[in-house]
Amino acid sequence: MIVAKLIDTTLCIGCKACEVACQEWNDQEYTMGTFDGSYQTKPELEANFWNLIKFNEFEKDGATSWLMSKYQCMHCADAGCLAACPAPGAIVPLANGTIDFVHENCIGCGYCITGCPFDVPRLNATTKKAYKCTLCSDRTAVGLEPACIKTCPTNCLNFGERDELLHLAETRAGELKADGFADAGVYNPQGVGGTNVLYVLKHASEPEKYGLPKDPVIPWTVSLWKGPMKWMGTLMFWGTVFGAFFHFVIYGPQDPEKHGHPEDPSDKS
Amino acid sequence: MATRRTQVTNRNSEIRIPRFDAYERVMHWMAALSFFYATLTGLALWSPKLYWMATMMGGGYHIRGSHPWVGVVFAVVMGVMARRWANGMRLDADDRIWLTRMHKYATHDHAALPPSGRFNAGQKMLFWAQLATTLALFVSGFVLWFPEWMPRSLRLISIAAHPLAAIGSITSILVHVYMGTAAVPHSMRAMLRGYVLPEWARFHHPKWYKAWRASHHV
Repeated sequence: MIVAKLIDTTLCIGCKACEVACQEWNDQEYTMGTFDGSYQTKPELEANFWNLIKFNEFEKDGATSWLMSKYQCMHCADAGCLAACPAPGAIVPLANGTIDFVHENCIGCGYCITGCPFDVPRLNATTKKAYKCTLCSDRTAVGLEPACIKTCPTNCLNFGERDELLHLAETRAGELKADGFADAGVYNPQGVGGTNVLYVLKHASEPEKYGLPKDPVIPWTVSLWKGPMKWMGTLMFWGTVFGAFFHFVIYGPQDPEKHGHPEDPSDKS
Repeated sequence: MATRRTQVTNRNSEIRIPRFDAYERVMHWMAALSFFYATLTGLALWSPKLYWMATMMGGGYHIRGSHPWVGVVFAVVMGVMARRWANGMRLDADDRIWLTRMHKYATHDHAALPPSGRFNAGQKMLFWAQLATTLALFVSGFVLWFPEWMPRSLRLISIAAHPLAAIGSITSILVHVYMGTAAVPHSMRAMLRGYVLPEWARFHHPKWYKAWRASHHV
């Protein structure tokens, strides 16, 4: 069974209880940041801060409002971090769709940061390993819902079977459309095979307004490296090794006695 | 074969032509060793199938720390080598003809080749190729070293450019190793001990040999 989180951004009141729950459950120390005039707790995710409520300011007809979004790992079906990771066993896709980091195997190269189209993983300066939301894999494994879901007071957050949540999301988007939000829809980007974190957005055609990328895909340079370049490299390596070996078998070593001189023979010393 | 080897080794055994001084030899082998280390650790991170090399070299976490530093050593040594050799690596008119007849070299038709100087055109091309790939590896490697501080666009380029440059670098070094060991007997001695014998010099690097003779009035 694939599980998912559903975030109905229209119901978020920006209470940040989910941020606190995340910090508490994962036993994360809070690192003081800088105040930059926003209600947001931090400008960005951090290695010890995996769940950020973004207060996206949105202006329409002269009125400013917030488009709330809960930013965290999207647990992609086709995960860019996993594609880019060079350390086997450091990023593990669980059977329930969770993309989990196993820090014992993490080498701290930070390739997951580059591979992630959502810019989610962060390196911890002390441990030099990458961290992000685990979808509370230590809770879901024993049948509990993630800490953020558990604590949400408005039912903005839902957790459960992905298919059911997707259906619920579509229903909710339909209701929003009926309420006059013609652009309402579900954020489930197909470029990464769909995500296990789903959003209901009022402005579904402009996810950038929520701080979400419009068409996230695994970077083509990562695909190039993991795909054609691997073939090319293997071919060139063995081609050269066998080429050199068979050159030797056919022609043998260069031999001054046998192969003559490019120089005038009368010049012999 | 054994007879011929003895001949080449013993004939004119009193005359040794200095080919690489200690400075050049140390630089070359520092480059070789750091390259070897960076290649093994790099290949470990290149493909999960080769990750056992990481275990062999001290584990993935360790090589993530050491690979960049060894890379810096390699790049610095390459820079020092370039300073010493770059002038002598310029292609002359003979070299240009040599390059068009490379197949003659590969098939031992040496009579069809223009004479080479201290380095033949193939060696010169290897030098320039290595210099280019080292530069690419150094720049892209530097970006990959500090992912938190580098702009994403640069990281995206580097994540593909680094292995691409490595493929070119490793492949050309494979050829270099073959040439320096099996393909050209006695060339290893030049890089290990620093000298070559007149017969070897006359065959492989006639123009260089001629210049040596002229300066030593042999």
